[in-house]
Amino acid sequence: MKYASIKKEDLNIWLEYLSGRARLYAPRKKENLFVFRPVKDISEIALKYIPTILPPKKYYFPQKEKLFKFKIRPFKTAKAIKEFEDFILFAVHTCDIAGIQCLDVIFRESPEDPNYLNRKEKMIIIGIECLEYCDKHANCTSMGNHVPRGGYDLMLVDIGEKFILHINSEKGEKLIRGLTYIKEANDADMLSLERVREAKKKIFKEELNGSLAKIYETFDRHFASPIWQDVGRRCVACGNCTSVCPTCYCFDTSDEMKLSLNEGMRYRIWNSCQMEDYAKVAGGEDFRKGRDSRQRHRYYRKFKYPVDKFNRYFCTGCGRCTRTCMAEISLIETVNSLLAAESGTPERPSASGVAERGEAK
Amino acid sequence: MKKQFNPERSRGAKPKVAFFDFTDCEGCQLQFANMGQALLEVAGLVDIVNFREIMSEEGQDYEIAFIEGSITTDKDVTRVKKIREKANVLVALGACATIGGVNGIKNRAPLELAKERVYGKKSDTINTINTMPVHKVVKVDYFIHGCPAYIPEIITVIKCLLMGRPYVLPNYAVCTECKMNENVCRYEKDQECLGPVTRAGCNSWCVNNGNRCYGCRGLVDNPAADGQKDILLKYGLKLEEILQHFTLYNDSMGEKYDQAFK
Repeated sequence: MKYASIKKEDLNIWLEYLSGRARLYAPRKKENLFVFRPVKDISEIALKYIPTILPPKKYYFPQKEKLFKFKIRPFKTAKAIKEFEDFILFAVHTCDIAGIQCLDVIFRESPEDPNYLNRKEKMIIIGIECLEYCDKHANCTSMGNHVPRGGYDLMLVDIGEKFILHINSEKGEKLIRGLTYIKEANDADMLSLERVREAKKKIFKEELNGSLAKIYETFDRHFASPIWQDVGRRCVACGNCTSVCPTCYCFDTSDEMKLSLNEGMRYRIWNSCQMEDYAKVAGGEDFRKGRDSRQRHRYYRKFKYPVDKFNRYFCTGCGRCTRTCMAEISLIETVNSLLAAESGTPERPSASGVAERGEAK
Repeated sequence: MKKQFNPERSRGAKPKVAFFDFTDCEGCQLQFANMGQALLEVAGLVDIVNFREIMSEEGQDYEIAFIEGSITTDKDVTRVKKIREKANVLVALGACATIGGVNGIKNRAPLELAKERVYGKKSDTINTINTMPVHKVVKVDYFIHGCPAYIPEIITVIKCLLMGRPYVLPNYAVCTECKMNENVCRYEKDQECLGPVTRAGCNSWCVNNGNRCYGCRGLVDNPAADGQKDILLKYGLKLEEILQHFTLYNDSMGEKYDQAFK
């Protein structure tokens, strides 16, 4: 069975079943935004949501993660902590699944990262496909992440009265096996799925004014562009854009002693290339002085460097960096400005050009 | 040359610690006293010889001095210099000691006027000087920012000084910690906040509890004044109001701040 279906009225029964199988995390409302949280009450789960403040990254690459315990006298270090429980990430957007795929590439690169892999092993991903735009900040279509492209165990698609479930792994199949209310998808279901996908083509249009190949070339040529100075002048280096990015993975480690001053714990804590001291080295030399060069670095880490190294763009199109920026630095606007500079039309595309797509709520 | 504090000593005789308050509310010492379980552990590592809030003895033989409060009189200057001479390690505890704090409001008016406002006819009997953070008068080895100081940070600094290591202050914005705590940004709700330019280290304590950031930890080394002003203006604040926000705690920090924000 590759595709199954579940009636909408049965969804809560299934969710109850899932929460009994493993720790369940799902999006829910927090003030006017959304966050992934452990599910306590199934009715709180939001199936329709704009990308959460932090991506689900916090569950497989936590903000502050215990790495191992150590002791000074007698000197002793322990192996990586790996006692993690099974957990399910429910209703993950396709952009965030792309983020998980990116981090997989990073942390599986030799030497492999045992802490990440130990957690990842326990993780089950149940995605949900977006049928309309979350808001005007997303650029998922240009990045090709507006449709499922693997990386999940199950994928839910709303086809009206039912959800279609795409079964993409054995882990996923185990979560629906033997349940009477989940049936193999019939021909009519598959036809509905096709119709939904057709309808999506009318809604989702490329948000960036050029192909990815063109964007890559543009980045190659516009390292010295004045656009970076403009971005840098507005930036306050708060680091919001990197904290909320599903593909940012920079970290620092810190040893925290107990008050005994003999035992301690090594932690791994998120770090950000936007911070003043990030590229400073001994002797005080700073390789990326100025907020302009640090912002530029962030963009190059999405559209240029990972393409050279892994043949993969590290922007997922989730739009979080734009959404969270109080200085209103917009990824779509910046990339389109570079593209305009490349094709010789220097005027900056207005924000209204972006808004034309409308806000699907 | 001043003799260096020797961390090895803490394994034998306990280092003697004294607390001194200057111009302040003594709230940061209270934070220290409110440390809970950790206070018992700290008491096992150091010998507290002078701490007005928790004991009546006043020992004058100490190696580590915690200074609370800002320097606001000539007498303060003499007193803090004397303490510095005696102590091997000097810690500035709390916003008044580290950045001048709220007391810096005095510096907004000429001294004579400030004196008259507070003491009226008796103003000529009062000695007062411009509010200064402790490091403007003597060398400070450890800074514990905040109004009040944040207990986990106090503990971290104590560990550092007992190990003879420096405590490296975060040089990034409160936003970094706030975002890791997944708070809804106050700007998202059209409410102002000094998080983007204020030095982190408090784990976004105020915003976690529904308040705004007041900048009590001082600004990061290189605050983005232009960007921050743009943001505040965009959210409907006037330049004078912005200045008031910036100077609530930081008025006595001097030129660097004046250039950036005045």
